[in-house]
Amino acid sequence: MISETSTLDAVSLPAQQRERAEAASVRPGRLAFAWEPWLLWGALVAAWQAIAGAIAGQGNPLLPPPAVVLDALWQSLPELFTGTWSSLLILMPGFALAVVAGVALGLVTGTSPRLGRAFFPFAKVAAPVPPTVYIPYAIAVLPTFHLSATFVVFVGAFWPVFQNTVAGAHAVEGRHRDNAAVLGFSRFEYLRKVVFPASLPHIFSGMGVGLGFGFILLTVAELFGANAGLGRFVQYYADFADYPRMVAGILYTGVVTWAAMTALERVRARALFWLR
Amino acid sequence: MSGETTGALRVEGLRFGYGGTTVLDGIDLAVEEGSFLALLGPSGSGKSTLLRLIAGLEQPGRGRVLTGDRQVAGPGIERAVVFQNYALFPWMRVVDNVAEGVRKAAPGISRAEARVRAVDYLERVGLRDVAERYPFELSGGMQQRAAIARALALESPFLLMDEPFGALDPVNRARLQDLLIGLWQARTPRPTVVFVTHDVDEALLLADRVAVLGASPGRVIEDFAVPFERPRSRAALFADDRFHALRESIAEALDADTLARLASA
Repeated sequence: MISETSTLDAVSLPAQQRERAEAASVRPGRLAFAWEPWLLWGALVAAWQAIAGAIAGQGNPLLPPPAVVLDALWQSLPELFTGTWSSLLILMPGFALAVVAGVALGLVTGTSPRLGRAFFPFAKVAAPVPPTVYIPYAIAVLPTFHLSATFVVFVGAFWPVFQNTVAGAHAVEGRHRDNAAVLGFSRFEYLRKVVFPASLPHIFSGMGVGLGFGFILLTVAELFGANAGLGRFVQYYADFADYPRMVAGILYTGVVTWAAMTALERVRARALFWLR
Repeated sequence: MSGETTGALRVEGLRFGYGGTTVLDGIDLAVEEGSFLALLGPSGSGKSTLLRLIAGLEQPGRGRVLTGDRQVAGPGIERAVVFQNYALFPWMRVVDNVAEGVRKAAPGISRAEARVRAVDYLERVGLRDVAERYPFELSGGMQQRAAIARALALESPFLLMDEPFGALDPVNRARLQDLLIGLWQARTPRPTVVFVTHDVDEALLLADRVAVLGASPGRVIEDFAVPFERPRSRAALFADDRFHALRESIAEALDADTLARLASA
């Protein structure tokens, strides 16, 4: 009788939910082709070409046309790849450390009123300080440029991750708290099995903001003292007024940032499959 | 089954409020070991709050809750709770949700063994086939079955249920009522059940006793014994004059409380 009811139950599963269940099992990314973004891209490149043509005079153009930039990009690729590697060696450790520390500290202070009272006033003062102001000091005090840049990326990414994790920990639904209490979860179990997964949506928004900050701080730090890297590339050719390479460097940095954000978005979608 | 507490439940002189509002006042209840008590009342009568106090999720301002001769100080796995809103963890597979209960009832068993036993509990509620699914892939009725399976897995002497079928459609609701009674009767010794509902028919179908709560503040205004033999069938109940008389008495008690409240307002 019991198995009979369960089949009935499965049949009466609302169509909407079944669709959702099926949609979840289908691999993402197979969406219909959208041409609207390409329209904008095309328009932007056309405008670029038109403006570059209009202001082109003798000598060094301030806005080189697309073809020139593309050529510069092609020729600079080896240098840009080396630069990317150098930059990522700063960004990734700094960002990873910020995520680990921000999530751990956020979960603990977000679930303990006492630790929260101790820590939040400090966070309120320290978090809004623009991390760029640490750069000269970090470079002066820490032994290597790599270390100081990593530190600055860490500081910049830490606060958004931390603050969002705290918000996530505070937003854990009452029913999940009740269930954890009824199941007799220890504090550590509660953090690991309930608060952490429940906070993941917030944590990922914090990581998105943190990664953006990380890129900004990375490139700014490289303007100060790097001998390789994406920000350094742009600064270096700006010093020589080599605008094609400079614009190529800007575009390339945009692509790298976009790729990193997209990768994070993929991880997010994977980790939060259970959401809705 | 945790052996220290017997399955008798007592509530003595319980009072609960927050701010200036008194939610519950002067609640006294004695629930026999292995019996099924329905807490029936309109919204605002504090019946869910009373259940949370028994569960240990809230602390009373005055009075106490006793399981056997032990005073309830907080939540504990000897009092399993099923909530209204299918409170499974959405990030865990159904089987893992239940396995959390298994591991608490049998500390020290391996993760794999806990999962095997969890599937057994899911089998009892007819969910073996969806054990590896996630809660969002299940209908409301199936989620609530899984929540019941998790509560069963705790093997607790007390089972507390807060309008567990309130959000279900009538067909699923009837099925789960039958399932619950079947599971309750199948266990030896039977757990002591406290079941919150606002549905008079549901209370009379399931319970040995119905405590009727009035509102503002919540208190027990009547306590009815439900005399029908088990197994009960809906058809037999509806054909029974005593059923209609009880229904009538409960409705009168609730109406009288509402009128008294209106008159005093």
